[in-house]
Amino acid sequence: MSAYMVDKFIRAVELGDATVAEYVADPPAFVERWLAGGGTPVRPTDDRFLTEAERAAFAARDFGALYALGAHPYLLWHFTEAVYEHEYTEGSGWRELVERYRAAVAPQGLVDYIP
Amino acid sequence: MAELVLAAVTPHNPLLWRAMTDPVPDDLRPIAANFARIREAVASHEVDVLVVIGTDHLRQFFYDNSPAFAIGKADAYHGTWENEVRTFGMEYAEVVGHRELADRIAGRSVQPDAIDFSVSLEWRLDHAFVIPLQYVRPELDLPVVPIHANASMPPVPSVRRFVALGEHLRRAIEDWDSDARVGILTSGHMANDVGGPRTFAGSPDPEFDALAAGWMRDGDLDGAIRVCSDVDRLTAAGSMTSQFLNAVAALAAMGGRAADFVDVPESRFSTSPFFLWSTR
Repeated sequence: MSAYMVDKFIRAVELGDATVAEYVADPPAFVERWLAGGGTPVRPTDDRFLTEAERAAFAARDFGALYALGAHPYLLWHFTEAVYEHEYTEGSGWRELVERYRAAVAPQGLVDYIP
Repeated sequence: MAELVLAAVTPHNPLLWRAMTDPVPDDLRPIAANFARIREAVASHEVDVLVVIGTDHLRQFFYDNSPAFAIGKADAYHGTWENEVRTFGMEYAEVVGHRELADRIAGRSVQPDAIDFSVSLEWRLDHAFVIPLQYVRPELDLPVVPIHANASMPPVPSVRRFVALGEHLRRAIEDWDSDARVGILTSGHMANDVGGPRTFAGSPDPEFDALAAGWMRDGDLDGAIRVCSDVDRLTAAGSMTSQFLNAVAALAAMGGRAADFVDVPESRFSTSPFFLWSTR
C-alpha cells in the first residue's frame, strides 16, 4: 500500500489545468511519464512509485478503486471532478457525476485513508 | 496595548462563489445575509488587522511536510490556486501580511510556551482563507496573519491544541504594544463529507451540527472539548468535519463566552456555520 503516492499523483494531476488536460488525453501514458520523472540531489526529494493496482486504477480513471486504495476523500473527489469534467459539462451533468461517485464509494463505507 | 475586538466563524464553501450571485437563490439568502452581518461587524469594529485561521486543503501543505499549525509571516500572499479557479470559478487575490503581529504570535526567536508553531514565508492561500476574506472584506485592504490549522491531514492536532491556539492568540494580541484593533476570522465546517460516502447529500450528521451550534450559543467550551476529543465521533460526522475545530479555537480565544450571534442555516449544501463575538 502506498496511499501517500496515490495522493501525490492526484495532486500532480489536479493542481494544474495543463496536467489535467495531459492526463485526460491519455491516462496510461501520463502515468508512465509521471513515474519516469522525479527528483535530483539538488532539489527536495520527489520519489515516485505506484503499485500495479494503483497504476491500473489511474490508467482507467477508476475513482471507486482509488477510494478502496486509500485516496484522501477530498483529493479524490476533486480529482474525479477534474478528469471527468469534459464529459459532464458536455453530457451527463455534474449531479450525475456526484451520483456515480457516491454509488462507487458508499458501499465501501469509511476506508482508512491515512498514509 | 492591542485589543481583540471581534471574532467570527464563517463557512469557506467555495461552491458559494458561483452559486451565491445576484439574484441570490432563496436557499442561500440566509448565508448571504450572515456574511453581510459579519462584514458590517468588521467595519463597525474598525478592525486594523485580521488573524485568519483556516485549513489548507492539501495544496500549500501536503504529507511530505505537514505542520500542525503554521503562522504566515510573509509580507504578502497570493490567493487561490489554478484548480480552484477552474473548479469553483474563484478569482485570484493578493493580500498583504502583517509581520509584526505574526512575530508576536509565533515568537520571533523562541517558540511561545503554550504551543509550537511552524512558520511560512511563502504561501499561496487556498479557499479556506480567500473565500471568507472576499465575503467579509471584499476590499481585501486589511493586513492579515494567516494561520493554517491542519484539520485535513491526519494526524490532526487534538481539540485541546486548538483551545491552546485560541488562548495563545488572545494573550499575544493583548500583550502587543500597539494601538491596533485585531479581529480573528476563522473558517471551517459543520459536519461535512466531501469525497466520502455521504458527499453532497446535505449534512451527513445533523446531530453533530446541533451539538456544535449549542457549544457556541451556550459558551460551552467544555462540551466542545468533551465531544471533539473523541476522534471517532468527528470522523463519523464526515471526512472534513475536523475543520470545525477552527471554530473551537475562536471560542477559546473569546474566553469561552457565548457567541453574540449564532446561525447555522441549511441550504443545498451541508450546514453553514456563522458565529460572531463582538465588543460593540
